[in-house]
Amino acid sequence: MPVAWATLRRTWTMTGRAYPWSYAVGCLLTGILTIGLSYLALHAVGGGTVAADFTARTGGADYLGYIAIGAGAFMFTVRMLLWSSKALITEQRQGTLGALLVAPAGRLPYLLGFTGFALANTVVEVGLLGGFAALLGITLPACQPLAALAGVLALAFAVFALSVVLGALMIVAGEAHISQNTVFLAVSLLCGITFPNSYLPEPARLLAETLPVTSAMDVLRGALSHGAGLADLAPRLLTCLALGAGYLLLGLLVLPGAERRAIERSY
Amino acid sequence: MIRTHDLRKTFRVREKGLFGPRLEKTAVDGLDLLIPPGRVTGLLGLNGAGKTSTIKILATLLRPTSGTVTLDGLDLVEHAREARRRINLIAGGERMVYGKLTGAENLRYFGRLYDVPAPVLRRRTGELLDLVGLGHAADIPVERYSRGMAQRLSIARGLVNDPAYLLLDEPTLGLDAPIARDLRRVVADLATEGRGVLLTSHYLAEVEELCRHVYVIADGRHLAEGSPAELKAATGSHRAVRVTVTNPSPGLTDRITGFVRGIGAEPQLAPTADGGLLVTVHHPEDIAGPLAGAVVGAGGAIGGLEVTEASLEDAILALADGSAGPGTGAGTGPRAAPGPRSGAGAGAGPAAPTSAGTEVAA
Ligand SMILES: Nc1ncnc2c1ncn2[C@@H]1O[C@H](COP(=O)(O)OP(=O)(O)O)[C@@H](O)[C@H]1O
Ligand SMILES: [Mg+2]
Repeated sequence: MPVAWATLRRTWTMTGRAYPWSYAVGCLLTGILTIGLSYLALHAVGGGTVAADFTARTGGADYLGYIAIGAGAFMFTVRMLLWSSKALITEQRQGTLGALLVAPAGRLPYLLGFTGFALANTVVEVGLLGGFAALLGITLPACQPLAALAGVLALAFAVFALSVVLGALMIVAGEAHISQNTVFLAVSLLCGITFPNSYLPEPARLLAETLPVTSAMDVLRGALSHGAGLADLAPRLLTCLALGAGYLLLGLLVLPGAERRAIERSY
Repeated sequence: MIRTHDLRKTFRVREKGLFGPRLEKTAVDGLDLLIPPGRVTGLLGLNGAGKTSTIKILATLLRPTSGTVTLDGLDLVEHAREARRRINLIAGGERMVYGKLTGAENLRYFGRLYDVPAPVLRRRTGELLDLVGLGHAADIPVERYSRGMAQRLSIARGLVNDPAYLLLDEPTLGLDAPIARDLRRVVADLATEGRGVLLTSHYLAEVEELCRHVYVIADGRHLAEGSPAELKAATGSHRAVRVTVTNPSPGLTDRITGFVRGIGAEPQLAPTADGGLLVTVHHPEDIAGPLAGAVVGAGGAIGGLEVTEASLEDAILALADGSAGPGTGAGTGPRAAPGPRSGAGAGAGPAAPTSAGTEVAA
């Protein structure tokens, strides 16, 4: 995959030159605020307890652990989706889309390289966030490392697959803001990131099931807060992979048309 | 050889706003082009003529609405990826390089996209930077380049896959004259090396300098084709030579008129404010010298001599006029070959251009 590797490296170089530290720090603050505010809310306002209902729905997990996993996963999802889906529209805005499209290299390795960079970047950020959570004394209730790794990879794959479709949408619409925020909102509300899925009405739950992030989150939570092993989580893992593969295929199928449309739009 | 047959491209555009009615806009309308290796082929036309649309189709960026393009016998739509290995595109109006990367990093990255083996790529990066005169700026981020430097890097990028065919869309757009001249030299050399080059321009002189064969298009349609000399002969009646004679006399006027008629033209005579005579002659050949000689030989004194080249607008109007048949268009009466005047000049004039206008207009 020389193209993927070259793309990863060049994106690394470009980002290093484009965004100094302030950018990464700003992103990190969002995550820290989420956890910090929840911590404050729980201890200063709630007196250290949460509704029994919440505890029941999260399967007995403690509130802060739930929030910490959610904040980490949300940051992971949003940051990766942001990077990966905007790859092509960024090329278009830089005036390099044409140069990229006249080259024979396939789009999949290009996008993989870009996402590889996004993943590396995001893992560092989420890792720092985890360190902060640990400093506050928040611990993961129960952890199966192997299953947790599978959950992270599943989430990464799910987000990558979604980002290919979203990226195609963006270059057709010539617009990133509305598309990206719609997807962020949907993902954060539907996929069990900020609160358990079972709070949702039935139609919304069904909709959530069509997004691979939902099953990925089940795997991640199962591994991190219920101590579930790979065997228990296999069905959800497979659901995630199947859905992800579906989105990826769809994305790769519509991308060539979307690219031509983008070229037509930007004359 | 790149060959297009009956190439058409129609865009669907909204008349206004998001929900306006859709209109069909035909940008390329039945072009048959031939781009052989080893020469620069020109595609000339005014803004909006369809040059960029054509070149984007040839670069596989757009799909033709109908018609075919083959590259060395390979269908361009079906075998887009294979075709992309053998072509490259350089567009003067677009950046096409990464501002945050250095010149060398840009070339290395694009080289990877073309699957150029690493050792070859390392050597080629240096060679190309030297070729476009950026050897000293190899490690400077492109965002700190001047516009001319960025454009030269863009040319180097277009050569990174050692393409057999190079598509150049107004490559000297917005460049300073000396830089544009250097670029033209590079382009000429590329063709000499055996590459097939297609050059679009709305700049007549550039096409004239570089191209052995030129297609002239307007509104997406083929208007004329031929060598620059042939096209000039067809449109050259627009070139005007103006001589101011400071000591006019009836005898002198007769002799000048006689000379001009002798070379197949009709002089326009007008008195000037300070008692002189302004003689204007439209002729496809460069007759400034002979005309001045004739005036002096007849005893005239020359107060001024001015040659006005045909503008592209004039030339294209002339061609369109010629193809639309007699009696229409521009007042000064330009005619495209095979009109009666071309070739009737000084005798040694170039062959009549192969204007296909009559077919098109019919
Ligand atoms: N992507 C597009 N969408 C709609 N109309 C277009 C598009 N590209 C070009 N056109 C129209 O097609 C015609 C030809 O444009 P173009 O190929 O850019 O001409 P040129 O390069 O000769 O100036 C113009 O009238 C232009 O407005
Ligand atoms: Mg153009």
